[in-house]
Amino acid sequence: MDLKTRYLIILLQGESFAIPITSLLEITVPRNIQRDPKLSEIFEGKIEYRGTLIPVVNMKKVLKLPGNPGTGLIVIKSSKGVLGLLVDAAKELLETAQKPVPIPRGVLNPSLNYYVGILRNRDHLVLLLNEDGFLP
Amino acid sequence: MTSNYVLFRIAARLFGVKLQGAIEIMAWQRSRAVPLSYSYIEGVMEYRGVIYPVFHLAQLLGFSQPGPIGFTAPQDPGPVKGRSIILLQEGDKSFGITVDSVVKMLPLEDVSAPAADVKGINTKLVRGIRFDDDQEIILLSFERLFHAG
Repeated sequence: MDLKTRYLIILLQGESFAIPITSLLEITVPRNIQRDPKLSEIFEGKIEYRGTLIPVVNMKKVLKLPGNPGTGLIVIKSSKGVLGLLVDAAKELLETAQKPVPIPRGVLNPSLNYYVGILRNRDHLVLLLNEDGFLP
Repeated sequence: MTSNYVLFRIAARLFGVKLQGAIEIMAWQRSRAVPLSYSYIEGVMEYRGVIYPVFHLAQLLGFSQPGPIGFTAPQDPGPVKGRSIILLQEGDKSFGITVDSVVKMLPLEDVSAPAADVKGINTKLVRGIRFDDDQEIILLSFERLFHAG
C-alpha cells in the first residue's frame, strides 16, 4: 500500500495548483505588506510573520497570470527560507497516493522548473508547484 | 509506400497527418491550461489515464495571433460546430491537436523529401504535399515540437 501524501490546493484565476502540506506553515490573509523596492518584481513586499519580516511572492506575477495579486496568503517554508505566497484562495486538502505525472514534453521550455508535475483531483488536473524552482 | 492519413481542416485549408498507432477523435473540450507554456499549447488533458499535451494547431501554423506571452494561450472559443481534438501518436510521443473539422481517413503515398515552402504557414511542420481530387493536402509531422528549447 502506497503512502498517501497530502497537498494544499490553491486557486489562481480559477485554476487549481498544489503545494505539499509538508511545506505549509499557515493559511492567512495579507496584512500590512511593506513595499521594498529592492525586491524583484515577483515580490509584493514583506510582511511580519511571528516576529520576523518574510518576503511575499505574488504568484500571478510568477506564472504571468492576469488579475489582482490575490487576497489569500499561504506561508510556506522552502529551501530559500520562510515566505508568503499571495493566492486567490486556499481551496481544499487533497490526500492521495498518486505520484505526480511529469508535464509532457513539448509543453514547456525544459529550463523552466516551476512544476513538479500533474495530479488528478476528481475530474480535473492540478499542477503541483515546485516552490524552489520559481524563487530567484 | 502507402499509409493511412487523417485529413482535417484549419482555416479552410486541408491538412493530413500519418497514422502511427491509436487515434481518438473527440469534440473539442477545454484543456487544463499550463501557465508559462509555449504560446501554441492549449494545455494538457487526460484521456484513459494518459496525459496529453494539446497543440492549438491554427496558432502553431501561424493562422492566429498568439496570446500574451506565458498566459494560457488561446482563449476559450466556445462551442464551434465541428471543432475537434484529435489524439495521435508519432514515434513514442502522444499528443492532441485542435482542428476546425475532421474530414476523413485516406490512404496516401508517403513523402520522403521535405516539401518546398508552403505559402503562409509555419513550414517547420510540413512534410510534403499530396492531392486528393485536385485538392491540396498539406502533410504535417509534429516530432520536431518535442525537441524544442
